[in-house]
Amino acid sequence: MTEALFELSLPISGMTCASCVSHVEGALKELPGTSNVVVNLGTNKANLLYDPQRIKLDDLRRAVEDVGYAITTSELTLDVRGMTCASCVDHVEGALKELRGIQAAVVNLGLGTARVVYVPGVVSTSAMKHAVREVGYEVQERSEGVDALDRERQAREEEIKRQGRNLILAGSIGLIVMIGTFYDMLGSLKVFVPEFLSYKWVIGLLTTPIVFGPGRQFFVNSWRGLKHGVTDMNLLYATGIGAAYGIAVINTLFPKAGFGGEGATFFESAALLTGFIILGRWLEALTRGRTSEAIRKLMKLQPKVARVIRNDKEEEIPADEVELGDVILVRPGESIAVDGQVFDGYSAVDESMLTGESLPVEKKAGDPVIGGTLNKTGAFKFKATRVGKDTSLAQIIKLVEDAQASKAPIQKLADWVAGHFILGVHLLAVVVFLFWFFYGYQMFFDPNSSFIMSPYKLGEIGVFGFSLLLSVTVLVISCPCAVGLATPSAMMAGTGKGAEFGVLFKGAEAIENTSKLQTIVFDKTGTLTKGEPSVTDVIPGHEWKVEDSNLAMTSWQIETVLRMAAIAEKNSEHPLGEAIVRGAQERGLQLVDPVSFNSIPGHGVEANAEGFDILLGNRKLMKERNVDFSKLISQAEALEADGKTVMFIGLNGQAAGLIAVADTLKEYSIEAVRHLHKMGLEVAMITGDNRRTAEAIARKVGIDQVLAEVLPQDKAEEVKKLQAQGKKVAMVGDGVNDAPALAQAEVGMAIGSGTDVAKETGDIILIKDDIRDVVVALEVARATMRKVKQNLFWAFFYNTLGIPLGAGLFYTFASVVISPEIAGLMMAISSISVTLNTLLLKGFKPSVGRGHNPKRGSGSTQLRPATASVGND
Amino acid sequence: MEHEMVEKEVAQKSMFIYLPISIGSALLFFLAATLTGDYPLVARIGGTIWVGLLTLIVSMPIVISRIKKQLHGKLQ
Repeated sequence: MTEALFELSLPISGMTCASCVSHVEGALKELPGTSNVVVNLGTNKANLLYDPQRIKLDDLRRAVEDVGYAITTSELTLDVRGMTCASCVDHVEGALKELRGIQAAVVNLGLGTARVVYVPGVVSTSAMKHAVREVGYEVQERSEGVDALDRERQAREEEIKRQGRNLILAGSIGLIVMIGTFYDMLGSLKVFVPEFLSYKWVIGLLTTPIVFGPGRQFFVNSWRGLKHGVTDMNLLYATGIGAAYGIAVINTLFPKAGFGGEGATFFESAALLTGFIILGRWLEALTRGRTSEAIRKLMKLQPKVARVIRNDKEEEIPADEVELGDVILVRPGESIAVDGQVFDGYSAVDESMLTGESLPVEKKAGDPVIGGTLNKTGAFKFKATRVGKDTSLAQIIKLVEDAQASKAPIQKLADWVAGHFILGVHLLAVVVFLFWFFYGYQMFFDPNSSFIMSPYKLGEIGVFGFSLLLSVTVLVISCPCAVGLATPSAMMAGTGKGAEFGVLFKGAEAIENTSKLQTIVFDKTGTLTKGEPSVTDVIPGHEWKVEDSNLAMTSWQIETVLRMAAIAEKNSEHPLGEAIVRGAQERGLQLVDPVSFNSIPGHGVEANAEGFDILLGNRKLMKERNVDFSKLISQAEALEADGKTVMFIGLNGQAAGLIAVADTLKEYSIEAVRHLHKMGLEVAMITGDNRRTAEAIARKVGIDQVLAEVLPQDKAEEVKKLQAQGKKVAMVGDGVNDAPALAQAEVGMAIGSGTDVAKETGDIILIKDDIRDVVVALEVARATMRKVKQNLFWAFFYNTLGIPLGAGLFYTFASVVISPEIAGLMMAISSISVTLNTLLLKGFKPSVGRGHNPKRGSGSTQLRPATASVGND
Repeated sequence: MEHEMVEKEVAQKSMFIYLPISIGSALLFFLAATLTGDYPLVARIGGTIWVGLLTLIVSMPIVISRIKKQLHGKLQ
């Protein structure tokens, strides 16, 4: 056993003084297996010797963290080529994780990437690349943005071309081999085929370049892996093709060896098996690229140039050279280069590509613009506020990429199964061989039996040939390629689909958890409601008339009631007063300045304007001033029962009317909750409001459970209580005040965040302030998980059916066996069917209507005679 | 460098385990085929090679990863 001590240089963050140095030194020295610990404040590094037998790097990290510091880690994404299955994922991850200094390595088969968290200085990028190459894969460091897109596309195109070339070679020669093999069955068509093609040695000569040309990749890759102790699907293919070719050669050289005699060749098995496997690879390369289309679409949005005004001159510069504060001119039809704020001009901008909003959004001075969106009509200038990696588009791309690179729990299980499957299959191949060699052949062999879809009778085949064929077929038919593709391909398509509708999943786990939800808890203020009070009802006094007034009011003139109230509140800073002023302004009412104004704290205001004494306030104020509201009191109580705040207005000592103010529902709250109910979910609302107000809102929306009078800090506790009842809970909130509750829930959804996604907490970010996106998130997640389950079903179905078929289980009673080439075709079909099934997600459309563009805070109130009920009720 | 040296050591140590296992099982097959039935020589030799090859494929990764873990405590 080696007793080697390794030298380490760990980057430490958080040290500010000499005592920090001694803390870190002390913490590291205390650990068993460390020596020569020297911490340098200047370089922020801890140098030490450690014995990996006695202590792990993770222990060192924990020790440093325990004393309040951290070992700095970096993140890197590698593009890995040549991965075809879940076991490849295992190998690459395993190779990386074996390196000292790697904290985490997550490989995404669909994207062909490996995301690595590592300790700089302990492990180098070249060591990582070396390790990946050693286990048989090509690797390079991934670059950002458009460059990465180009490289990825280039790599994919190269792979498609390479497999395409292989396919043409294997397919065309394979066809000739096929024709030659079945020459005797061609009948009258024989005249078109030269007889020499049916000679065994000619067929052998034709097959050899297929096996060692296009088929060479399987031998090379499997050997590379094998010598590092890893097995992958290449090995299954290599043993399958190699054995079929070996049988054919032996049978040609020694016809009496027991492989079917003179009549059989088996070269066509080797040729067609290679051809079908390569067909599978080619189709996979073609279709796999399509599942990651969403991220490519996003990357394509990144504009390449920007028209910047510097020193009063307009110049075109690369978009990534735009600096903060630069003034950028955008003309109609041009893309917006970076995020910014409009200060001159007017236009409509199509933001659908990032937010999912179908209609263009108006932009005027002061409005924000998002990089990557498309200017439609006018020209405008804006100042850059976020550039480079900080732009919304860059953040969204990063988020979607991270999500696609993550693994759902179901995928981890599938990967584990597939990773261990190959060894199991080889063991099974030994068992099948031994069974048929020592027992099965003697017991069940029927010389008149044949392969499925083959003209051969197995008549002359001997015990070894028969057992070997079945053993090889098991190897080929068991390939778990479809299992490896089933989950990641669907997750990639699902996260991409979500992004298309402005729903950003932060990881594959978020999708899986979302699909299992049973209860959705909405925060009330700002989520279900607009979060600011507005006038909902105006009820004028029935018998109130002022004959001598220039107002010439009648009982139905509710605009006047609202206008007088707004005049009285014009100088008020109270939220209810502001709501009344805003309500009057939204209706275009002219508000003069009051002649006099007096605030009555806790009660209301009094003012004088246009010859009227205006008294506006609560019931108590009216009682004190002897204004008789007895005829309106029942209506006031009804409004209060609806959770609204009622303001009483008196003019010249008479009851002039009621104004109800409330936090109004967002435009689509009711629709969203209705959809959630249709999906079989329980909907709860959490709020700090009193129970009466909360229940009034809940009734309107159709909420099942009201959690009222909950302090902000207790929201997480309420979520926990629901979870304690065994429910899978999602919390929908604004992502800032609700952060603890969002974190506590199985799924936290931050709504209305806009495009500054990096700041958001929660597992799902809903870019738009449209509550229906909760439904979209659930539908996307459910559709994705449905695809995952269908894919896994089909993948395992092929293997479950194929393995007994390949192992000759049915031969015992039906006397038919499957040939290796048909096994190869079945496996190719299995991965293609899984990928094609995933591609069906491209047609996904959410059930909630998305044809129009709700303007935030628009909810303009409609005034009706008598009772003007406004908002969303 | 250090990593490569460890890898080399792993490869050497593992070989001394998986090769005897594979050869052993292949010989066992040959013996069983010779003793239990009237199998042609080609079948016995072919079977021996096939069993040896598959056992090698199964034992190699298992042994190598075990030795790796033993040798550098998973390197971390």
